[in-house]
Amino acid sequence: MTFLSMVARNLLRRPVRTGLTLLGISIGIAAVVALVGMSRGYEKSIVKQLDAIGIDLVVSNMSGGIMPKVYDASLEEKIAPLPNVAQTTSVLMQMMSIEDAPMMMVSGRAWGGFTWEKLRVIDGRLPADGNERAVVLGTLAAEVLKKKVGDTVQIETEELPVVGIVDGQAVVENGAIILSLPILQELTLNEGKVNFIDIRVTPGTTEAQMAALSARVKEIFPEGRAMVADEVVGTSQGYRIMRAMSWSTSLLAIIVGVLGVMNTMLMTVFERTHEIGVLLAVGWKKSRIMRMVLLESAMLGLLGGIVGVALGALGLMILKRTPTLRGLLEPDLGLPLLLTSVGIALVVGIISGLYPGWRSSRLSPSLALHG
Amino acid sequence: MPSATTTATDPPAVVYDARGLTKEFDGGQVAALRGVDLTVREGEFVAIIGPSGCGKSTLLQMLGALDRPSSGTLTFRGRSLPGLADAAAYRARDIGFVFQAFHLLPTFTVLENVQIPMFEGDLPRSQRRARAAELLESVGLSHRLRHFPSQLSGGERQRVAIARSLANRPGVLLADEPTGNLDSANADQVLDLILRLHRELRMTLVLVTHDLGIAKRATRIIRMKDGRVVDGPATPTPTPATP
Ligand SMILES: Nc1ncnc2c1ncn2[C@@H]1O[C@H](COP(=O)(O)OP(=O)(O)OP(=O)(O)O)[C@@H](O)[C@H]1O
Ligand SMILES: [Mg+2]
Repeated sequence: MTFLSMVARNLLRRPVRTGLTLLGISIGIAAVVALVGMSRGYEKSIVKQLDAIGIDLVVSNMSGGIMPKVYDASLEEKIAPLPNVAQTTSVLMQMMSIEDAPMMMVSGRAWGGFTWEKLRVIDGRLPADGNERAVVLGTLAAEVLKKKVGDTVQIETEELPVVGIVDGQAVVENGAIILSLPILQELTLNEGKVNFIDIRVTPGTTEAQMAALSARVKEIFPEGRAMVADEVVGTSQGYRIMRAMSWSTSLLAIIVGVLGVMNTMLMTVFERTHEIGVLLAVGWKKSRIMRMVLLESAMLGLLGGIVGVALGALGLMILKRTPTLRGLLEPDLGLPLLLTSVGIALVVGIISGLYPGWRSSRLSPSLALHG
Repeated sequence: MPSATTTATDPPAVVYDARGLTKEFDGGQVAALRGVDLTVREGEFVAIIGPSGCGKSTLLQMLGALDRPSSGTLTFRGRSLPGLADAAAYRARDIGFVFQAFHLLPTFTVLENVQIPMFEGDLPRSQRRARAAELLESVGLSHRLRHFPSQLSGGERQRVAIARSLANRPGVLLADEPTGNLDSANADQVLDLILRLHRELRMTLVLVTHDLGIAKRATRIIRMKDGRVVDGPATPTPTPATP
């Protein structure tokens, strides 16, 4: 028998209590995995989308809600002549409830702009010109809406025919309904308004030139900003809310986890007061008693972490397939996140064992003779 | 080493020496020991007897460093016991303690129970196991290694507890009514075992008992009453062990 196997045996003494405690930590850790995985996935997919389209800078006013505030489309004419700007194009992006889907990305794009170029037509065709009152659907959007070429999609008050299914090479693109800018402006009563101006810079632009360009945009458009791809994600209100929520929920889950394990370990120590007295009486050092409790608590944390990571990953896989979130969510469950989560659980276990361990090490061996 | 000038053999070395030992509980409301003077020498078998509540167990706890005296001095081989920096090491290596109620750990097998004190020693795992098996064989329980304490008779449990107390080869055995919970047949077996340790391993034995029959087999009997030793010289002339 080793010290470790002795500690493990102690855990098995109260299988129901150990099981419930494990379940408690696992659920907490599962929440951490799911939430952090989700917000990271969101970040990654937006960056990927911007890369896929070849956008270097995005001009927007992020102070709005989930989507940036709209502004006058004429801004594009002021940005286009700035140094290092190769191409510009305007986009009006809206989150809307479309038929049975509660949240769909609808993207109106200036006809002929480079944001159309990267769309690979899978079925049907792109709109013939900027005036055709028709939409194309990203592959995921088509699946979610259960539409194919020839069907119609209702946007606000108008039924628009689906003329094509496209692959946009990023989950956000594939989850979107894409149409010509003026039509969306008209349908959403945003005539002359956009909320993104995408910029491609001239090849060989340095970071310093990029920063200078951002500064010039700021002068022209003080309410907004020109941001590089990953910045867009970092400053978006939606993402910030999501990140704050995932962190605060994770923190809460961790605190609940610590309290749960600590409660279990305290019960264990009280219950074994007599036994700890016997261990002290046969010559165990206080430090070994403390180590026994800490190790037991760390084991609970570790096991809970492993089960929790599995639960969290499983939960995300299921969530990803639900109709509501389909196409909007591409969870990022990298190994680092999984390992970090198990690590957090282990630390939860150790922290929870500190106080019970300290309590147990202050017991007296003379307890062995009483009771 | 015998000195050339001494005609008689030197008395054996002093193991325990207590002077004016007191112990109070509950903030002075209970005086369990009221000034105990006691000397125990190497190889002695000392039996402590006295009425219930006179402080026998309390005294044994002081000797076992399970608790600290309120006042007075107590030494073990010349070192102050309450002053020991590492009382755990003393409990682990210098003494074995046997309780009336056995105090085995219920979730561990007999073989595992005996190994528990060895975590404080330096034997590797395989040797811990071998030594535990060997000790259990010497108390006649080779056939019970994988049993749990609840599956054993009281006598068998006490023999496991004795094997456990010997785990780190102590020189002293402290036993608090080791046969108090046993029927006479089992009590005899356990007592024979303890006497054998005294005889064969030359262990110093301090045994608390209610049983005068057991006490009579000791080298020396110490009578206690109301927290004091009432007779038996504090430093007796050594007498040969009763066969
Ligand atoms: N932890 C304690 N707290 C309070 N009082 C105690 C404690 N331990 C012992 N006492 C008291 O000290 C006195 C001596 O107790 P002790 O257990 O030493 O007696 P004993 O001689 O061993 O008796 P018995 O033969 O019944 O075992 C008793 O009055 C007892 O109630
Ligand atoms: Mg007693």
